[in-house]
Amino acid sequence: MSDAFNLIVDGKPVAATAGETVLQAARRAGIEIPTLCTDERLAPAGACRACLVEVNGQRRLQPSCAWQAAPGQEIKTHASSPRVKRHQDTLVSMYMADHKLDGEGLPAETPNGNDLRAWALKCETLALPRVEAPRVARPNDVNPYIKYSPELCILCGRCTRYCDEVEGVNAITLTNRGSRTTIGTAGMRGLLETSCELCGGCVDTCPTGAMIEKKAPALNRAAVNKVRTTCNYCGVGCQMDLNVEGGRLVKVTSPEPGTTHNDGNLCIKGRFAYDFVHHKERLTRPLVRGADGKLHEASWEHALKAAAEGLLAVKKRHGAANIGFISSSRCTGEENFLMGKLARAVFGINNVHQCAAT
Amino acid sequence: MLGAAAMTNSIPEIRDVDLMFVIGSNTTEAHPIIGMELKRARRRGAKLIVADPRRIWLADHADVFLQLRPGTDVWLVNAMAQCVVQAGLVDDRFIREHTEGWEALRAHLAKFDLAQAEKITGVPAGAIREAALLYARTRKAGIYYTLGITEHTHGTDNVFALANLVLMTGHLGLRSAGMNPLRGQNNVQGATDAGASPIYYSGYQPVLDAAVQEKFSKAWGAAMPATQGKNLNVMMHGIETGEMKAMYIMGEDILLSEPDANVLEDGLKKLEFLVCQDIFLNLTTRYANVVFPGAAFAEKEGVFTNTDRRVQRVRKAVEPPGEARADWQILCDFARACGYPMPRYGSPADIYDEMAALSPRFAGISHKRLDATPRGLQWPCTGPDHPGTEFLHKDGVAHGKGKFQVVDFRPSSELPDADYPLVLTTGRVLYHYNAATQTRRDAGTTAKVPENFVEVHPDDAARLGVKDGEHVRVVSRRGGVKAKLWLSGRVQKGCVWMPLHFAEEAANKLTVSAGDAITGTAEYKVCAVSLVPAKTAAK
Ligand code: SF4
Ligand code: SF4
Ligand code: FES
Repeated sequence: MSDAFNLIVDGKPVAATAGETVLQAARRAGIEIPTLCTDERLAPAGACRACLVEVNGQRRLQPSCAWQAAPGQEIKTHASSPRVKRHQDTLVSMYMADHKLDGEGLPAETPNGNDLRAWALKCETLALPRVEAPRVARPNDVNPYIKYSPELCILCGRCTRYCDEVEGVNAITLTNRGSRTTIGTAGMRGLLETSCELCGGCVDTCPTGAMIEKKAPALNRAAVNKVRTTCNYCGVGCQMDLNVEGGRLVKVTSPEPGTTHNDGNLCIKGRFAYDFVHHKERLTRPLVRGADGKLHEASWEHALKAAAEGLLAVKKRHGAANIGFISSSRCTGEENFLMGKLARAVFGINNVHQCAAT
Repeated sequence: MLGAAAMTNSIPEIRDVDLMFVIGSNTTEAHPIIGMELKRARRRGAKLIVADPRRIWLADHADVFLQLRPGTDVWLVNAMAQCVVQAGLVDDRFIREHTEGWEALRAHLAKFDLAQAEKITGVPAGAIREAALLYARTRKAGIYYTLGITEHTHGTDNVFALANLVLMTGHLGLRSAGMNPLRGQNNVQGATDAGASPIYYSGYQPVLDAAVQEKFSKAWGAAMPATQGKNLNVMMHGIETGEMKAMYIMGEDILLSEPDANVLEDGLKKLEFLVCQDIFLNLTTRYANVVFPGAAFAEKEGVFTNTDRRVQRVRKAVEPPGEARADWQILCDFARACGYPMPRYGSPADIYDEMAALSPRFAGISHKRLDATPRGLQWPCTGPDHPGTEFLHKDGVAHGKGKFQVVDFRPSSELPDADYPLVLTTGRVLYHYNAATQTRRDAGTTAKVPENFVEVHPDDAARLGVKDGEHVRVVSRRGGVKAKLWLSGRVQKGCVWMPLHFAEEAANKLTVSAGDAITGTAEYKVCAVSLVPAKTAAK
């Protein structure tokens, strides 16, 4: 590859390819650079200044998330540059001055984590005076899925850029000016009254937990177990992580961008429409129609026997040609395979089809 | 047939596409993440052509939008093909090397002139021509289509007509170029792949092939049936006529999802025995003799195969409620109760292994391999070292030559008349999923679209004296349902549109059950209706 080259980060050679940013090359080499406003799916915005590095020959510090890597370029991160280190300590402290803090004076933890907190833990923060930021949320927003807490918002614009650049919807935008800047909608309406498709991408990309899922407001992250699976709705087959706490499905999150074919994206159904799993109307016991013509709960043994006898009796009376097996795209490949086996090997007939032949 | 079995390209290839021709697919609502990729591709400069009777969301992003009359797809696509011929843009070399039947098609296409096309489809001739030339001149051009194209009595014709366009321009066998049916449901691809089909065993092995029969007879220790089975549509008709005597239905509510529900319901009452297996009671279970409680996707192991042939794992995260069981276990238990010695599978991994060993197309896939492959494996994947297949027909057309098919326009089986003056088409909205047994149990999806609605053009509403937000009855020859009226500039004059998600007002009470001659897919898309203000309608 002719467009592969090295740059020098903190005195060590780091491989890069043309078109890559310094941040991308450094991350691949395992070099740590803090970031807040960057998301692989979005064009670099250079908005948060967390990722600034020293670039040889440049008077000012430069955002590594936007700076193109070049052959032989010398870069210094906080590991080797006191100037970058000082910048970071000051910057994180300024962010904290108007951020929601916990009892220990650290950026508050949220059910979705908080990258500002993680970063602050690595810095020597300064005690700056608190700044009152009169940022407002949308108190009348009754949408059932997404909650916005302005006191956790760092205005990195990831949510608004995601909504525009990835989802293509532009439902939310940076609104107002100066210390009043907030994430707003047209006329500050609730999300249900906007073009919002409730995809939850804004929640997923938010680095500080300022946008969270309303359905899981107080999740204990340490107790959550994530199970990777495939969405059960449409044919895109998005990969998703089922978040399980105490044997219950409490939240759905998307895998890291770039790791699966849905690239960290989900739609409203995949991300939010999982209440049916633990719904109180779920069938929990087999049902068998009794002599009274009604369905009654029954043991598995009884239900299996009744079903087998019923179908075998029809086979005996009429042959198998008029018995049909309908299988489902809602079930797994293995289950569809077994339905075919049931029709063919047990009843000797090819009358098997899935319901949705589309 | 080209374009019938699966997408020839992959979803990630949309990142490199130069032109997208989306026909009969409300992608942003039915396949949101693919819709998102299409919009992103448009944003980076790829061209977008959208053909749909309704001004769908995606149409707002299109370079060329062809708002055709419902059911006139064949005319539109054939007229585009004729433009390509006339502009001298056919790929002679591809046609020579990889196809047959070109001369017959070429002669046939001469009938489809632009002026006539404009009259029949309602699309301006200039737009048809522009779309045709754009498509023909762009090498990395992908066609995307779905139910809008296949759910007609002439659905197979629509697919043939599109395949002709692909073959004559040679836009195939290349990254990002091809023909892509977007399968509606999570595992609709995987269900057919696994042999839930009256004509194929798993891996598209024909049930009439003696060697295949022999192989399965041996593996399963039972004589395999010698004839093809009944397809879904034939079975549904058989229920209606009383010819079918017993059914085993897993994971579906046929009364909600199948057309002409009133007649089907009468048929269900006549069945001598009905077994249902599901996670909720539904309309169909009311007629069941036995109902088995199954498991939701989060409660079992297995695989789904998505629309780009990608086999991916489904994993168990929580236990099924009460005594409910994973569906694979129920099927095994039931087979044993019938006296068949179903093996004691330890887990679905064993079932998959059995299928892979019997199906060359998936021979290289196993749960173990999938667990190590976060992006899944795309079939064909024929051996443990086979990497899977990103796009099909790389070395010309697989399975011999691509056959051009001469297709003629056949009008839809029911057209509007004086009594039923409007054309109803049905479809999906983003916020619900099919029968909505799952999405309607969620507050947010329901808040977005809480009740059945019908989209009506303002001129038609004015003529009928009905207003926005008013409740109306939508009536066809087969029945009527209630809906809230939405005035909408998205439907054309003379057409109305309704979603198919609402059980109590099921749109399929209105639709025609005439099936496509070849696939048996029912005609959900076009039927004739009238609107009656709810206050004057006799309830
Ligand atoms: S949920 Fe999706 S569409 Fe709605 S504001 Fe967030 S990113 Fe935008
Ligand atoms: S998350 Fe949405 S787009 Fe993805 S598979 Fe599920 S339903 Fe389809
Ligand atoms: S991550 Fe680079 S400026 Fe925000």
